[in-house]
Amino acid sequence: MANMRRLGAFAAFTTSAALLLAACSSGDGETTDPTDSPTNGEAEQSAEPVTLTWWHNAVAGDNGENALGDYWQTVADAYTAENPHVTIEIEQVQNEDLQRTRIPLALQSGDAPDLFQAWGGGELASQVESGYVQDLSETLADDIERLGGGVSPWQHEGSTYGLPFTFGVEGIWYRESLFEEAGITEEPATMDELNAAVQALKDADITPIAVGAADGWPAAHWWYNFALRSCSQDVMAAAGVDRDFSDPCWVQAGEQLEEFLGTEPFQDQFISTVAQTGATSSAGLVASGDAAMELMGQWNVFVYEGFTDGTDEGIAALQDDLGWFPMPATDGGNGDPSAALGGGDGFSCYVDAPPECADFLSFIVSDANQMEFTEATGALPVAPAAADAVTNPVLVELAQVAGNAEYVQLWLDTSFGTNVGGAMNDGIVSIFAGTGEAQDVVDLMTAAALTE
Amino acid sequence: MATAVKDDVKKRRSSQSRARTRLGGDSSIYVTIFVALIAVGLTLGPILFLGLGGFRTNGQIAEDPTGLPNPWVWQNYWDILTGSTFWEFTLNSAIISIATTAGVVLFGTMAAYPLARYSFRGREGVFLMFTAGLMFPLTVAIFPLFLLLQDLGLGGMWGLIIPQIAFALPVTVIIMRPFLAALPDELEEASFMDGLTRVGFFFRMVLPLARPGMVTVGVLAFLGSWNAYLLPLVMLTGRDAPTTLPLGVTQFQGQNAANFAGIMAYTFLAMIPALVFFLMMEKRIVDGLSGAVKG
Amino acid sequence: MTALEASGTGTGPATDAKASVAGSTPVTPAAYNPRRDRRRKWLEIVIFVGPALLLFLVFVIFPMIMAARYSLYKWDSRQPFELAEFIGFDNYTRALMGGTDPETKEIFWKAYAQPFWNAVGNNAQIIALSMLVQLPIAMIIALVLNRKFPGRSSVRLIIFAPYVLSEVVAGLMWLMLLDPRGPVTEMLAAIGISDPAGGWLEDPQAGFWTFFFIVSWKYIGLAIILFLAGLSGVPPELQEAASIDGASWWQVQWRINIPLIGPTVRVWAFLSIIGSIQLFDMAWVLNKGGSTGQYSTIATLMVDIGTQRNDGGYASALAIIMFIFSMVAAITYMTIVMRRDNGARAGKGA
Repeated sequence: MANMRRLGAFAAFTTSAALLLAACSSGDGETTDPTDSPTNGEAEQSAEPVTLTWWHNAVAGDNGENALGDYWQTVADAYTAENPHVTIEIEQVQNEDLQRTRIPLALQSGDAPDLFQAWGGGELASQVESGYVQDLSETLADDIERLGGGVSPWQHEGSTYGLPFTFGVEGIWYRESLFEEAGITEEPATMDELNAAVQALKDADITPIAVGAADGWPAAHWWYNFALRSCSQDVMAAAGVDRDFSDPCWVQAGEQLEEFLGTEPFQDQFISTVAQTGATSSAGLVASGDAAMELMGQWNVFVYEGFTDGTDEGIAALQDDLGWFPMPATDGGNGDPSAALGGGDGFSCYVDAPPECADFLSFIVSDANQMEFTEATGALPVAPAAADAVTNPVLVELAQVAGNAEYVQLWLDTSFGTNVGGAMNDGIVSIFAGTGEAQDVVDLMTAAALTE
Repeated sequence: MATAVKDDVKKRRSSQSRARTRLGGDSSIYVTIFVALIAVGLTLGPILFLGLGGFRTNGQIAEDPTGLPNPWVWQNYWDILTGSTFWEFTLNSAIISIATTAGVVLFGTMAAYPLARYSFRGREGVFLMFTAGLMFPLTVAIFPLFLLLQDLGLGGMWGLIIPQIAFALPVTVIIMRPFLAALPDELEEASFMDGLTRVGFFFRMVLPLARPGMVTVGVLAFLGSWNAYLLPLVMLTGRDAPTTLPLGVTQFQGQNAANFAGIMAYTFLAMIPALVFFLMMEKRIVDGLSGAVKG
Repeated sequence: MTALEASGTGTGPATDAKASVAGSTPVTPAAYNPRRDRRRKWLEIVIFVGPALLLFLVFVIFPMIMAARYSLYKWDSRQPFELAEFIGFDNYTRALMGGTDPETKEIFWKAYAQPFWNAVGNNAQIIALSMLVQLPIAMIIALVLNRKFPGRSSVRLIIFAPYVLSEVVAGLMWLMLLDPRGPVTEMLAAIGISDPAGGWLEDPQAGFWTFFFIVSWKYIGLAIILFLAGLSGVPPELQEAASIDGASWWQVQWRINIPLIGPTVRVWAFLSIIGSIQLFDMAWVLNKGGSTGQYSTIATLMVDIGTQRNDGGYASALAIIMFIFSMVAAITYMTIVMRRDNGARAGKGA
């Protein structure tokens, strides 16, 4: 359908039959020059120039530095050096805009980038069902096998529609010096221990936990973790597929959250606090030592670093004082206490993208490039062969937890897709704000699922 | 003729303001000044605070949110003004706003001319339709509009300019019509006697005479386009889409999360073009706003 | 009122306008062939009106019609629109009353109708508060400033300045100033006003009032400037006569100035109502209508559902409802209130 639309647009705006034909044959008429289909298979691609458009979320960060973005540029340069007929046009877009606005609209409009950021799960599944995404199962079979289980969020009904380049689990980041100050000697392993730690920190006049509830999702992740502990793996997996939230464990998750909120573990005005902007954001509070803990994914080490003065000593001092432990186990509940929530970033190819797209994606996640990726950005790679390149001790620990987890559940909002996920996050924020109840979250999710 | 009309307006205005100032007892002048000071303080205070915040470091702000710059730091402003994005976004906004304004004024005045000075069947119907357009905010039509622009292949700057012209036309036609209707008939008669056609009359006489009205609608269109947010937000999907200043500000905020002082400086700088434009055009803006609904 | 004269809608010229239109045909030199003349006239009309009309129909009317069409479909975000299922007015009933199915009514009410009515309530409250709070304050300021005093023109200029700022920029500014540890919070704390439990903007109760304050900060200047423009049109002789008769300052305002700028006030009220219904940019930039929708509007809810939740059919229904509200408000206002003012002006809207 998207093709029809674009075709219509061309018909209206070009009188040249040649152009019209080009638009039909190349599939991505506006940006890709017409390419003859490769005659000798994939290895020997036609020398006709091809332009790949690539949208990723690596925007310049806090001090104007953009390690990941710079790295992507070098990858693109390396690829185009090997394949001179390919030009890669990169557009970097801030994550929320990219995921929530730009990519969905671009896909619907039929004028989408060839290679674009994909977070896997329900969102990718709906894109697949709409026919927007290329099936890479056969073309990239070797890479899929090499990367292993981390690929599963990018798979749908047995086929693979994208590859991750980084994957990690979330847990609680904390400042070791503040724990020491409050006399906490052990990383909390159960909710009781976490509650005790919260109390100890309060007694020492330290804000126990920071949360950026104004952004919604940071608050929602607390609920996700309670749900992970109270719902069995089967219930969890089934919910991702048929969106059935009738199991009482979903309401229990909210009740556990309410109970936890009752202990007032979070900073003042957490509902007005954003996650990453400014010194008063939740990340800013932890980075400046105003708050002791924050529940966040593996990326947050980089966010914290953004609040240092940017010098090597400053970053080293922060990393030295930064600890991490997995989300504590709750009492009761059918969830596995070692299960972890996680997610990653990957890329998918648009359905009409030229074959060079898959080839380039394979290049991105090659063992050598995964290694370089880790060295350049410090982030966790997916390729097992690149694991040794991880140097940050917290990330090493995090990778171990991920490896030992009974199973890794993809972020629930990503897993359930935009609509149900959005309703879920809205409901959870209401619990945080004190205007909603545990049952509301489930009702909102159920209602959203019914509209699909 | 044109100057005569203008002079007349000017005369009436000045006589009014002269007369008005004679009123009011002198003792109450302090009340007036007091109220004026409070109003000015409330209006200007936040803006000044923002501007001053840009002269501080993040450390200073974290330490004492209400303090003054100490020492003054020029780095934030310097970085922004020497970086490329601020100027690029400002230029994009300027090009888009100017093109929108030109289109609105030209097409709007052209459309208003027959609606004001010809009598033909369907005239009131057409006018009514433009009037109804006032009730169609761009927000309402944003999704279909986005899909339409994609279908037509209208991306980049044109994807912003053309819809903005279309949505600004109703106000323009509504203001310009009575304005054009008010031009004296004798002028038209004399021109026709001189052998001018209606088309010639439009270009030779109407356009110069209608300048004040055109400036008014132009200023409104310019402001609307300059400050537009939703359409650029949605239309940015196009590959070569130019980022406009309001979007640039939110983008900067998203990308420089930890740099609070920098965000303050950027936001403050983003206000300046609109404020300068406003200082130049204040009278026209007020006229346009009141005229918009009066017409 | 200066604006009136500037835009040529004054009583005198408008009457001329009518005469000119009616009398335009005889004016044409007799040498013209009538039939050719008529064809020529239509050609000219098409050339003049055509471009604007085309733009208007294609980019305003057509999308509006499409929005109405989309609103009748179940918009599956997983499928292109062409495959969407026609569901009649279900999207509308979902917003207005939580749908018609008794089984799902309760959860649909909670998930869709409640946020919708919450947003409508916010829009309505902003309209009401504009009339009850902004109007009196702006009126008093305008009356007090309606005289000669040092720095008068600068003061007017400054008061009006926020109006020209984009809502985005103004919103971001206030977001920073109202941060939980931001300057406004600190300053108010210093004079003993503590911030609400959830913070200025995100507190479920106080957030709306903060939002209203910001909107007022941005738009009250428009009211003041319009009122001042109106006051400048009040014949000074009337005020002088009243003063000589011994009327106090307040009496002069009540009996003369305020009644005489009635039309201006009504124009402002109209602008304000339509603007309040369509409020979007500011609420969106602050935090997409607030984390619990405390200052959400119909427009933010619509864009939220449309872009963040991918439910285009429902979003379109909200868009159409918003349009209907605007239209009803405009028509009601024009027929009941503005007609009174326009009655005096012959040739208006002829």
